Amino acid sequence: MSQVAIVGVGQTPYRRSHPEKSSRELIWWAAKEALNDAGLGIDAIDVIIAGVAPDALAGEVSVERSGMMGIGKPFIRVNTGGVTGSSAVFAGASYIKAGRAKAVLVFALERMGQASSSQQVFNTIFDPVYEKDFPLTTITMAALRASMLMRLYGYAPRHWAEIAARNAQAARKNPLAHLHNDITPEDVLKSPLLAWPIHRYEACPMSEGACALVLVDKSLVGNRKPAWIQGAASTSDSYAMGDRIRRKGATLVDLLSLSMSAKRAYAEAGVTKPVKEIRVAELYSAFSSAEAMAYPALGFCESADGPRFVEAQATDKSLPVFNPSGGPQGANPVSATAMVRIAEAALQVRQMAGARQVDGVERAVATGQGGATQFSTVCVVGNKPNT
Amino acid sequence: MSDVELVSIPGLWAFNYNYFAGANASRFFNELKVNRRIMGTRCPSCERVLVPARGFCDACMEYTTDWKAVGPEGTLETFTIVATQFPGLPKPPLVMAYVTLDGADTALINLVYGMDLSDIDAAAQKLNKLPRVTTRFVDDPKGRITDFSFQLL
Amino acid sequence: MTDKRPAVYIEGIAVDIGWADATRSLTEMIFSTTRRAIDEGKKSLDTIDSVVLAAHDMVDGRSLSSMVTGPAAGSYLRDETRYSDDGAAAFAAAVTRIEAKESTRSIVAAWGRASEHDVEAVARATFDPFFASPFGIDELQVAAMRAQAWMRMGGDVAARAEAGQRRIAAARANPRALKVGGRHPVASYPLNEADMPRWADIAVSLTISAEPSAVRVAGIGQSSEPYWIGDRKLGRLAGLEQAAQRALSEAGFGPEQLDVVEIDGLTLFDEAIGMEAVGIAQRGGGMRSMATDPRSNPSGGAAAGYCAPAMGLARIVEAVMQLQGQAGTIQVPRARRALATGSCVVAAQTHTAIVLEAT
Repeated sequence: MSQVAIVGVGQTPYRRSHPEKSSRELIWWAAKEALNDAGLGIDAIDVIIAGVAPDALAGEVSVERSGMMGIGKPFIRVNTGGVTGSSAVFAGASYIKAGRAKAVLVFALERMGQASSSQQVFNTIFDPVYEKDFPLTTITMAALRASMLMRLYGYAPRHWAEIAARNAQAARKNPLAHLHNDITPEDVLKSPLLAWPIHRYEACPMSEGACALVLVDKSLVGNRKPAWIQGAASTSDSYAMGDRIRRKGATLVDLLSLSMSAKRAYAEAGVTKPVKEIRVAELYSAFSSAEAMAYPALGFCESADGPRFVEAQATDKSLPVFNPSGGPQGANPVSATAMVRIAEAALQVRQMAGARQVDGVERAVATGQGGATQFSTVCVVGNKPNT
Repeated sequence: MSDVELVSIPGLWAFNYNYFAGANASRFFNELKVNRRIMGTRCPSCERVLVPARGFCDACMEYTTDWKAVGPEGTLETFTIVATQFPGLPKPPLVMAYVTLDGADTALINLVYGMDLSDIDAAAQKLNKLPRVTTRFVDDPKGRITDFSFQLL
Repeated sequence: MTDKRPAVYIEGIAVDIGWADATRSLTEMIFSTTRRAIDEGKKSLDTIDSVVLAAHDMVDGRSLSSMVTGPAAGSYLRDETRYSDDGAAAFAAAVTRIEAKESTRSIVAAWGRASEHDVEAVARATFDPFFASPFGIDELQVAAMRAQAWMRMGGDVAARAEAGQRRIAAARANPRALKVGGRHPVASYPLNEADMPRWADIAVSLTISAEPSAVRVAGIGQSSEPYWIGDRKLGRLAGLEQAAQRALSEAGFGPEQLDVVEIDGLTLFDEAIGMEAVGIAQRGGGMRSMATDPRSNPSGGAAAGYCAPAMGLARIVEAVMQLQGQAGTIQVPRARRALATGSCVVAAQTHTAIVLEAT
């Protein structure tokens, strides 16, 4: 069966807006960079997979069509909310593994720079029949979880603040990140309260930009620098958060869909001791408190040890490095964010991450989250193909 | 090209929809309005009582069968204290929470009253201890989810 | 280990075309169709490990609509992907997952309820906000311009009235077509009401796997055209020509071997041009084909009920029913080979062609 490698990465800078670029120009910017990195022209591409999440954020329906590239190629758009960027990568990989393509271009565009208010749009993801009358937003949804984590496992506000400050400092080394804030945990706790217990600096910015990857079959790798997709898995949970609160064995904060995806991706990649074998983890946690749900789901620690795991990150150099790119608190171009996590993981493995490069990365993991942590994806990339 | 004035065009994204709630949700709302009670439906396979009442269980991919009244009391599972104004709602701060009503296997979202919110952190400490609540209906229910809210006991 | 790509088969199928049924929410419609498809397939739900969907937030009326619709289509704790693209394109993606051995059995589902959303408003919003939207252009108007271009290029329009009547009669005879309600959009010159689609509420589901059953996927082809309408030669569907060629080439036979062709076309003219594109009519002869060729859209096509993005999957289900001998009053005798197509925004910019064979 074919193996798939990432041989090209392209990213625009992520900013509040790019007024000098049309939507198609943002797509082409990232795509061209990825193609140049791969040393391939558009004619060598067999299939294009586009990722664009809610149209309302861009205010343009099916905006990806405007970025049509090449002549006569299969072109299909995926929209799975926050995991869109990773769904696009996985869909492209399927075409290669099925033998229907040798080279696939995947891209994801976030155009929320054209939106005046993202929270108005995000409220529309909730049920019009039962939930629209309540201030259910991505912020309050994250807050509901953070409270539960504090009750169950003893997290305190300062844990959320430490994670946020860590991400902010990492983002300062990433020229593509939207925010470059020199902040401490104390600054985070002093920032305005959005919805208890979430403070402003623990949330993510509204960012726009585009990300693109070139995926190839093993036969096309040649002299190119590959990041091999060693494992990839996606799982969807039920919609109603209320259905997950008393679910046996997997409550709202146990992130069942992420742990299921992690198990499958790790099995495919041959990862058995994640905390030792994964050097970098790029997590899609739009709020710093959401990272706490990812650690046990990814097998890095037990849920009850979470607070200690957060504290140890500052001093224990043997632990994986989390979000060297700054993660979503540095930039959250929603449609693209899950692809950006994979792109950053690939750059780390290929030793092409510049000032944010971590030493000795043989394997990295990238996660995606969509909906109210309903959709979870896990992608393991490494410097060797699976044997 | 640096002298060219950048063009941006304002737009209003306003689309009209007419959502069909369906017979099941309609019956749920009718029970709120006429009988001031909250209904769930049971899945014959996993036997969970699902609230709000719904036509099928997505975990088992089966049609639900019996209708059951749940509550009026329940347990507050998790919450947040909202700091920003939302259209149609009272001024913040407001408590929004998931409550599992007695007899239900799933939790329901609504607003919660009866907590002193002058000290947010103190209120949060109390709310994070799985307090008990009861259901309170408005005087003139209209058959909408806002016909009731929760009140701390 | 064998590297040979496994053949993929279609198992259970179900389609529901209706209008403004207030007794059912969208998710209840999707659930009932999906449940029926699973039951028809006669395989346990436990054997299903993948769900591939085609649906659009703007049609469903909420952002990330797959949060609620996915579970109705069986996504609970499964690998589920929702394409905001035509149902036949999602079908092709689902097939690649089986071929890649990532999945052993998958649900594929698509839907749209024209009675719940403003179809024309959403279509207008699909066009470029700077160069096209100011004119209020929508896909039906592009279809009108396409018809005009086809006639100017020499398309034989003489059989138009007959083709329109055959289409309506087929839709009346089709047991699955919309019976009551629906809405015909307003026609722009040179189109008239008989050319129009009939907006409907549609939900379609099916299951696929590598286990042999009555209908096999013999070929897949996909292609695209330029974004700018002005860059395209409107009188033909070049993208569909290419998609069909690719699918037939993989299947190993030519269009003359097809017994049934189900084309997704927004209007009668799109369906006619589609017949030329897939090669069962000569250039310019598509309208005559729609009037007299029993292979051409025996279901009644867009006259039987239309709502994007479900149509490519609806065309596939009609083709499967023909190959299974289950099409009822509109059965084409001894149908063994079929081609079904699906097209998507903007104004038939992307195309998928699926060739199916009875085993």
